[in-house]
Amino acid sequence: MNLPTKALLGALFLCISTGAHAQLAWEKTELEINPAPGADSAVATFKYENKGTTPINIKAVRTSCGCTTAALKKNDVAPGEKGEIVATLKTGDRVGQQVKTVTVETDDLKSPQTILTLKANIVQLLELQPVFVSWTANEDPKPKTIVAKAGKGVTIKSLEVTSSTPEFTTKVEPGSTAGEFKIIVQPKETGHQATANLTIKPDKSAGEGKVFNASARVMPASS
Amino acid sequence: MRPLLRQSVLLLGLALLPAAVQALYFRDRISWESRIAESDMVSVDLARSWGTDAVWIDARPDVDFERDHVPEAILLNEDRWNELLPQFLQQRWSPEKKIVVYCSAESCNLAGDVARRLREEAKLPNQIRVLKGGWEEWLKTRK
Repeated sequence: MNLPTKALLGALFLCISTGAHAQLAWEKTELEINPAPGADSAVATFKYENKGTTPINIKAVRTSCGCTTAALKKNDVAPGEKGEIVATLKTGDRVGQQVKTVTVETDDLKSPQTILTLKANIVQLLELQPVFVSWTANEDPKPKTIVAKAGKGVTIKSLEVTSSTPEFTTKVEPGSTAGEFKIIVQPKETGHQATANLTIKPDKSAGEGKVFNASARVMPASS
Repeated sequence: MRPLLRQSVLLLGLALLPAAVQALYFRDRISWESRIAESDMVSVDLARSWGTDAVWIDARPDVDFERDHVPEAILLNEDRWNELLPQFLQQRWSPEKKIVVYCSAESCNLAGDVARRLREEAKLPNQIRVLKGGWEEWLKTRK
């Protein structure tokens, strides 16, 4: 093996060996959490340790959306020091699996950027299918059904439904399984356009003060 | 000729090895694929050409919408979905109109999530598309 080849191979091994020893070591870069049904936030704690021999400065921490915040106690991490970044997702009215990322930038040349991933599985307290019923102008004003189903692990014993306008009537009937209800919605007539907000209140077992909305509408006659 | 070939193969191998190591190292750290199918997206130019045949939905947080938004766009985000969805359905929805949903940029998922919920929860029959490049792209072409 000639000298240039040896030099190239040496450079390659140096490159691989130094790249594999990033100083800021993360316990996990991806966390999946299951917040309690109805919780207003989902919190994940990403732990790190400076396993190198020089201090590291965390220059920036950015989240992938305004719904997520990331808290860091201090930016400078001494050799051997441990710390954490707490990512908090404001659940709002989100449902299902939410995947949000936190990008951490450091002055560590070997690993200047790390992407932390927060996966939050948010249980829908009450699933409404569909959340909207409509009638075309002059359509037969037959009742339409919205099926309301308690989310996984959620207990709902009864529902109270009110329409924002007397132009629509509502009735609640039990569904085919426990925690399932049929909301029967009917317009008084379809001769003119009308809209209604249907306020759906589960009993207190689903959580104090939880209110859901569905909509009903008679469409205007097309011109 | 043979030494030249051997040297070329060696150099190619040297170039590929670090790339392979880096790809393995970053494999789980970067998302390479968009969650939204290409067929569910629309370019700014095409969406603009729809004119009043389309309703624009802003899926960004309230504060971003208040700062600026596409003219005539309606706010509908998942922070206040239960409150904002009825407003959209009762005031702005029309079965004939296309729906264009946007969020901040190509990389944000908010528009895709809102579009999915409009299809799955509200069962809207409309053609629902996510704006390619989002608000950032729309800003570039604002006249």
